[in-house]
Amino acid sequence: MNFKTTQEHEALRAQIRAYAEAEIKPYAFQWDKENYFPRREVVDRLAEMGLMGIPFPTEYGGAGLDATSYAIAVEELSRVDGGAGVILSAHVSLGSWPIYAFGTQEQKEKYLVPLAKGEKIGAFGLTEPNAGSDAGGTETTAVLQGDHYILNGEKIFITNGGEADTYVVFAVTTPGIGTRGISAFIVEKGWEGFTFGEHYDKMGIRSSATAQLLFQDVKVPKENLLGKEGQGFKIAMATLDGGRIGIASQALGIAQGAYERAVEYAKERVQFDKPIAFQQSISFKIADMATKLRCARMLIYSAAELKEHHEPYGMESAMAKMYASDIALEVTNDALQIFGGSGYLKGMDVERMYRDAKITTIYEGTNEIQRVVIASHILGKEPKAQSAGGVKQSGAITGPRKKQIWKGGEVQEMVDALVDSLKQDGYDFTVGIPLDTPIARAERVVSAGKGIGEEENMILIEDVARAAGAAIGSSRPVAESLRYVPLDRYVGMSGQKFTGNLYIACGISGAVQHLKGIKDASTIVAINNNPNAPIFKHCDYGIVGDVAQVLPLLAQALDTGEKLPAPPMVKMKRATPKQEKPVYKTYVCGGCGYEYNPAQGDPDNDVLRGTQFENLPAEWVCPECAEAKDAFIQA
Amino acid sequence: MHCVRKVTDDLYWVGANDHRTTLFENIHPIPTGVSYNAYLLLDEQSVLVDTVDWSACRQMMENVEHLLAGKPLDVLLINHMEPDHGASIEEILRRYPQVKIISTPKAFMLMRQFGFDIDGHELVEVREGDTYTFGTHTVTFVEAPMVHWPEAMVTFDVTDGVLFSADAFGSFNALDGKLFADEVDFDRDWLDEARRYLTNIVGKYGPHVQLLLKKAGGIMEQIKYICPLHGPVWRENFEYIVDKYDKWSRYEPEVSGVMIAYASMYGNTEGAAQALAAKLVEKGVRNLAVYDVSNTHVSYLISEAFKYSHIVLASVTYNLGIYPVMHNFLADMKALNLQNRKVALVENGSWACKSGDLMQKFLEEEMKGMTVINQRLSLASAMGEEKEDELEALANAIVDSIIEES
Repeated sequence: MNFKTTQEHEALRAQIRAYAEAEIKPYAFQWDKENYFPRREVVDRLAEMGLMGIPFPTEYGGAGLDATSYAIAVEELSRVDGGAGVILSAHVSLGSWPIYAFGTQEQKEKYLVPLAKGEKIGAFGLTEPNAGSDAGGTETTAVLQGDHYILNGEKIFITNGGEADTYVVFAVTTPGIGTRGISAFIVEKGWEGFTFGEHYDKMGIRSSATAQLLFQDVKVPKENLLGKEGQGFKIAMATLDGGRIGIASQALGIAQGAYERAVEYAKERVQFDKPIAFQQSISFKIADMATKLRCARMLIYSAAELKEHHEPYGMESAMAKMYASDIALEVTNDALQIFGGSGYLKGMDVERMYRDAKITTIYEGTNEIQRVVIASHILGKEPKAQSAGGVKQSGAITGPRKKQIWKGGEVQEMVDALVDSLKQDGYDFTVGIPLDTPIARAERVVSAGKGIGEEENMILIEDVARAAGAAIGSSRPVAESLRYVPLDRYVGMSGQKFTGNLYIACGISGAVQHLKGIKDASTIVAINNNPNAPIFKHCDYGIVGDVAQVLPLLAQALDTGEKLPAPPMVKMKRATPKQEKPVYKTYVCGGCGYEYNPAQGDPDNDVLRGTQFENLPAEWVCPECAEAKDAFIQA
Repeated sequence: MHCVRKVTDDLYWVGANDHRTTLFENIHPIPTGVSYNAYLLLDEQSVLVDTVDWSACRQMMENVEHLLAGKPLDVLLINHMEPDHGASIEEILRRYPQVKIISTPKAFMLMRQFGFDIDGHELVEVREGDTYTFGTHTVTFVEAPMVHWPEAMVTFDVTDGVLFSADAFGSFNALDGKLFADEVDFDRDWLDEARRYLTNIVGKYGPHVQLLLKKAGGIMEQIKYICPLHGPVWRENFEYIVDKYDKWSRYEPEVSGVMIAYASMYGNTEGAAQALAAKLVEKGVRNLAVYDVSNTHVSYLISEAFKYSHIVLASVTYNLGIYPVMHNFLADMKALNLQNRKVALVENGSWACKSGDLMQKFLEEEMKGMTVINQRLSLASAMGEEKEDELEALANAIVDSIIEES
């Protein structure tokens, strides 16, 4: 090996660079400012150039080029705009590659071909609120019913979310056995029940779209299962191995762009009678930056080459991603430093690149996780600590709730049903507390979220609060950004905690920090027009409907005229959840009574958690008394 | 003086009663004693079925020698090797050097481990389904692993329908002259001790008891006598005791009602427990029992926990944890595999009340199918008037849960 790219590689680089300089660079500032997704300018143009499927064979509509070519493409796009780079990277590495690697012939023809041709955009849905670095916390579920899996749950921080047409989504098909119960599915945009949350307002890479995916009883045809049931985690990990090459290239491109700007500027800027580039402090910086860039580039191309030759490359791609993104922060920081005060202004490329670089140490496996991956390749598996319980079951943030949701009916009927239920639970609406009772001491609170809309709608909240005998609260944005209520009235982990009885959330979607602030409420009522709002998963009663319609009727239904002063608060009873039976079966040894629990496996004999008894190897014996498998009976 | 009783024409009880041992297995109190049952079959060959604890050996020897009237013992049949039955094997082997031993391979291993000199004797290893004839009587052997030791088996005499059931269907209580279950008021005088015996000794092995019950179900028609190693012999009303065993081994409550177990240092938690008990009875709960965990041996607590559908655990916070005696009760429930109960919690703490959360965590994470009622009474030092409503709410939640179940 000559440690050099080929002529073809460099020709491709020149082609993409020419395009990027001419068609992306002039607009990058504006896209960043406006959070603009450049579908026409980037996606369609790359498709025209045949570059949306660089590493896939031509028979599937790809360019049939190698992994290094793909790395160069992401690098060159990122060199002028980090957001453009990740559009391609998420599309190729995450949205398309798993279908190429694990899909059936039919799935490849149906989904990979239009993706590789650039007719469609791909995305990848793994991350969830409780499953970031630890995919074992996945809570999205897929339940097989006849010919379909019914998908429910949410995914967050999804690159290309909302813009993509095809999503590779991970969901739990066998609960209780951790990552071995996760499966992968191909889900199409537009299917009933599949919606998107708001576009995130990000620090950087603002020309790339990032959104939340919401699944509410989405019917996924059985044939859209990717790989086999239970292979999801394996597919996700294999995909991320390759994805790291893309992110490393993105980091490298961003850093390269910042470096070039800095060198140009250093040569032009004169202080103490000479260009600052020739001040030793700056020249040394530039030398260091260039060295780091070369190091990162070598790591990336070598990982790409290993991948191309089907050699193991998981550790090398992790090293490349970790190093390239770590130095991207250093290089963009130094570049901005070289620009001095000028670099700190909006409109300067280095200012944007400085922000764009940060995400690369975070997504597709944080750099901390990359170090875990690298170390595990070197050191092997950590000896297992004895775990007392089974697989951790993460419950709803607000604990067990009734989740009685009304939707699609007459608003008046839904409101009446709600008020009846509350009265049955023992709420007495002839008594009440002042609207300005401190949240922490309030027995009842009616809270407004962003869904309330214009400030004049706060009158609806006040009316309901008065009729319900409650104090007024809000979500954080309503107090902090919209300033409809004072800051001390927002409810949440970081704000006031509500520990009283009745909490009525109006137009509140239910961010985790908000939910943590109401987990001790006896009864949570949610009113929201988005049926997928997380609050509905955490409430006792919910009405899916427009607050502008629901609240006036609710105020009317609760109104009893002047309220009597409320007696001292009595904490109300909460629903008791049924202890669910574990889905796995345990087996008891006839030689000693030892119980084999699939949720724990048998660490002493290297049996992984999640291994069902019948899948234990035939030669496995009881770890306590060495009886054979046939001495066990089902518990 | 010999003391024997006839079971059938040629089968005799040759065991002994023990009132001097205070702790069975050196752990469970037996204030009303216990019997060690051994049986002697006088066929063409004489067969001693199991032996007794060392402390009762002399009595058994007198009984056996009386019945054998100078003849030697031909066969020693061992169903279970635990020393409360196996310890006297050694003496039998010395007195009858020609005796042949029939047992399972694992039991022979245990005899050697306990130091019995069996190797000069003829040893007959038997397995599930094997048969053996002593003259007119033919027996068949049924393995009963983990009821409650791995070597255990039960022996069925197909000739006259006698099931030698080893520790299954056993009970605490000395027999004191009685032999058959129909000679005592079982429900009044024996059921509690039978439950305490089964749940504490065999409780953990419910699935294996179920397996044995299933095997017994296949020959139920032919069974005329059930001869356990402790407690009375059954010759009628089998479904009564089988039903109890079925419930206990499936961890199903026997009674819809409430057991309140409290841990109190100075009487404040006790006060809350008593107030709750009164409220529950007022609300119509009649099956209710209250225990102070500090002054009740845990074997009684375990037995009651198996009996009732609902359990209230009331505990003070001690060293930022669960009161040690209550903690021990929880650990014992877990060890004995108790499952599928509804539990309500009362917690007390004077500066950092932790016991409720910790008990809940233990119940939900360490045990199986334990549902914690989502209503808790939390006390800061003592139960005051201001807690009346919480107490009422807790009592209502328990009553609702009982109604919901029945």
